[in-house]
Amino acid sequence: MDAAQALDELTELSSQIESAVVLGADGSVLAATHDDPARAAALASTALDLVGAAFGLNIQPQEVTRVEVELEEGAVFVLRENGRTIAATTGPDPTSGLVVYDLRTCLHGISEPETKKKRQKAPPANEGGE
Amino acid sequence: MKKLFRFVVLVGLAVWAWRRLAGPSGPRARAGVSYADGSSIVLEPGSDGFERLASITHAALRS
Repeated sequence: MDAAQALDELTELSSQIESAVVLGADGSVLAATHDDPARAAALASTALDLVGAAFGLNIQPQEVTRVEVELEEGAVFVLRENGRTIAATTGPDPTSGLVVYDLRTCLHGISEPETKKKRQKAPPANEGGE
Repeated sequence: MKKLFRFVVLVGLAVWAWRRLAGPSGPRARAGVSYADGSSIVLEPGSDGFERLASITHAALRS
């Protein structure tokens, strides 16, 4: 499944997510729910800014895997996994656990074909055992 | 037995009313960050970290 298909599936599954964007390892936009590229780029920029700010919060610099900010007017969630980043906005008072689960499922959906290819290339297991 | 039942109901109603009146109301503001080593931090409003993340988020939610 490519990033656009995964985002389509995400917006169908989650009623809480208002907009979302998937970024590649280099920060480029792979797919977005916004039709307007400028708005997609703005959300992407926000995601990268949040990750950058979150990186500086830890005493020992560590790779940021998740940022969630909930405000009165809504929330922004950012998840990073396997070099990809997904960011989403929701309305006020979202069910954080559910949103994070949906975003993680979306990211896993994108990376699945690569995993399958790697498995196919792996040599067959020794069926004879010992 | 009847008195005990009435007492339990009254206590239940009192706890429910207390939580409804004294508990947090409306959407709450907070922020959380998780790191690759498994550590995570929760930032409450008023902290420097929260205000930094909130200022970035405000701009995204307004657009």
